[in-house]
Amino acid sequence: MGGDKIRKDKRQKREDYRAAIRKEGVSELPRKKFYRQRAHANPFSDHQLIYPPHPDQMDWSSLYPDYVVDEPQEQQTPGPETPSDLDLAPLRPKRISKEVEVADIGCGFGGLLVALGPLMPDTLVLGLEIRVQVTQFVEDRIKALRVQDQEAKLYRNVGVLRANTMKFLPNFFRKGQLSKIFICFPDPHFKARKHKQRIVSTTLNSEYAYVLRPGGVVYTITDVPDLHEWMVQHFEAHPSFERVPEEEQEADTLVNVMRTETEEGKKVERNKGQKHVALFRRLEDPAW
Amino acid sequence: MILPFHLVKSCGGFVFAAQGSDIHTFSSALEHVSTWKYPAQPVDKPHEPSAETQSSPAPEGPPAKRRKVEDCQDSVSIGQPAESTNGKPKSKKAAQYDCPANERPFIQGLYATADGRHLIAITGADKTIWVFEHDLAATLTLTRSMPKRPCALALTTDNRTILSADKFGDVYALPLLPSSTSKSVENSTANQSSPRSTTSSIQTPSRSTTPSAKPFKPQADPLTVHTKRNLKALEAQKISLARREAILREQQQAANRPQFEHTLLLGHVSMLTAICVGTSSSVDGRPREYIITADRDEHIRVSRGVPQAHVIEGFCLGHEDFVSRLCVAPGGRAELLISGGGDDDLFVWDWLHGTLLGRAGVLEHVKEVAGHEAASKVALTRIFACRWEGVRVVVFVVVECVPALFQFELLEDNTLQHRETIPLPGNPLDMEAIETPGATPRLLVAVYPGEEGGSSLIPLDKEEAGWRLGRVENLPAGGDANIGDEELQKILYSTESLRKSSDFD
Repeated sequence: MGGDKIRKDKRQKREDYRAAIRKEGVSELPRKKFYRQRAHANPFSDHQLIYPPHPDQMDWSSLYPDYVVDEPQEQQTPGPETPSDLDLAPLRPKRISKEVEVADIGCGFGGLLVALGPLMPDTLVLGLEIRVQVTQFVEDRIKALRVQDQEAKLYRNVGVLRANTMKFLPNFFRKGQLSKIFICFPDPHFKARKHKQRIVSTTLNSEYAYVLRPGGVVYTITDVPDLHEWMVQHFEAHPSFERVPEEEQEADTLVNVMRTETEEGKKVERNKGQKHVALFRRLEDPAW
Repeated sequence: MILPFHLVKSCGGFVFAAQGSDIHTFSSALEHVSTWKYPAQPVDKPHEPSAETQSSPAPEGPPAKRRKVEDCQDSVSIGQPAESTNGKPKSKKAAQYDCPANERPFIQGLYATADGRHLIAITGADKTIWVFEHDLAATLTLTRSMPKRPCALALTTDNRTILSADKFGDVYALPLLPSSTSKSVENSTANQSSPRSTTSSIQTPSRSTTPSAKPFKPQADPLTVHTKRNLKALEAQKISLARREAILREQQQAANRPQFEHTLLLGHVSMLTAICVGTSSSVDGRPREYIITADRDEHIRVSRGVPQAHVIEGFCLGHEDFVSRLCVAPGGRAELLISGGGDDDLFVWDWLHGTLLGRAGVLEHVKEVAGHEAASKVALTRIFACRWEGVRVVVFVVVECVPALFQFELLEDNTLQHRETIPLPGNPLDMEAIETPGATPRLLVAVYPGEEGGSSLIPLDKEEAGWRLGRVENLPAGGDANIGDEELQKILYSTESLRKSSDFD
């Protein structure tokens, strides 16, 4: 079949390209055309995801190698422990000196990540993306940028992970760990039947509230007016969030970054589309 | 083939046992009192008078109990599995598993209120929650068909609210008994409309209808679609809009029919497998309720109780396979939670703080029963904890397809220790303790006797020499179900199927 042949060629080219980029020390930025993937992923399927059973068991050292803490080895030596004791205290991964505080949920090709890195150099920023190829692109992109910016030591604070945040957000982050969550141009899921797959819902907002500290902010942007309305309705209806007033929103420099630096934002710009922004602040939990 | 008993529940001095889609009532001395049958399609069994399903008085002892079947016929979709709200037939799979030969669905869960006054049952294929009043005469008082299939129920400590955890990951609160206003509304609809449409008229309170439902309008606009084909599709969508709106108006009128009270409390993006309610005192010393939910994706979530169920207090994380059972420890140890599922171990948690206190191996004991080669994993189906001889807290564990009960003891240092393995003549399906004042409790185990036959309901008494397996005399024969052995096993042994199939390395 001709189609098969073309597909095979494409895959072959893709593999060759990626092998080459690895070998050449990744100083060159990756090209998107070798990393394309269908824009939708089913958040309900199991996939073959890798995630820690508990945030304490998450190994951040490979994502943020510059922040690894050199620890004396004595912690590693196991005492005369029974197997069950070992199970209780699983091997602690290498610690890093900071914690991830900003998450970009559905980071796509990583435009926002790359913009945020130099803007908040003292904060660890993590992109989360469910599509394998796209995650790979961002990974290669970050690698290349780190090599290019050897002197300025930029982009050491950004990382990317493949994850299904709708299921596994609490596996990565502890309660109140994050100060900012970005949800930029999420899949609109136009069909009413697919609304349950949307990244914002009454029940999921409780999980965002869990990982955000009081005072933390969720940033949302979309070019679909109905999705914007949906997100506003669902966050405003959730008792843990309040909408950030417009003046304050426009004064936030990150809002402008989100408008102009996201890959999707640029595309909307080219097509002369509209961009709808809404920010929501995590409120203090009431007494219980 | 004759169905085994697969669920047992002790409630208010009686013992209820489910067999297929029937519920049998026994006295605490295990004498059969009466039987409630899932309302059958009238065409199928026109000869069956209601008197037959009503009980005959028990020969002695407890007062006779009566079940009214005719009452519920107005409010139940009879016979066939209920259709989902949008009129689409149920998926083939569900119909096949739960409605053998398109008959009556299996009872999937039996629950009792703490005060022993109500028994609650769930059936799978028709997604229905049944509430039985359990006073002098036990009566089916209420049936409600949920938007998604309920997987597990719990009751709030005041016994007034049912928390229903469903396959879709959501937890709904619904009053055990409807408040007087909504009851009258419910009755009136039951009278004026056909039985079928009553159950299916309940509007699905999906995420899409919260916070408010809106009329349909195309969400894309020429600015958000970029390809020629999509633009064309958008045009087509706009043209058919008028027609759709007419249909929608009609639907909304249908949806405006009264529905039972239910509130969405919380949700996981995963199938829920277990739910329970924990209590802990707050800063001011008053008891506070928490909702503990477990899902197929290894999570145990602790949320605050109503009205702050949107606040997630924490997670108990550490399971590496599905969680299928949760159990808050009894006997003044309510700060402890025991959980299990597809992992080799049982876990003990301080659930409010999300800290793992201990683990106890189950697989090693399963291997002793099933053989070291045959058993490589555990699918835990029951965790049953009760007080024993005053102060001790013992935990019985049932593992799918393993013909034994595993007894653990919850020690003072909050760890679990294996005490003994009680061999059984068949695979246990459910168990319950029958409390007798002043004596050690008697265990009642529902087993699947397998092809050789044998009793399916076995009382166990602890004696000095070990456990004595008893017999329940005059077990009701139970209806012959038109179901093959393989099909039956699929229904009875469904826990292992929660395991993710992707780990083939």
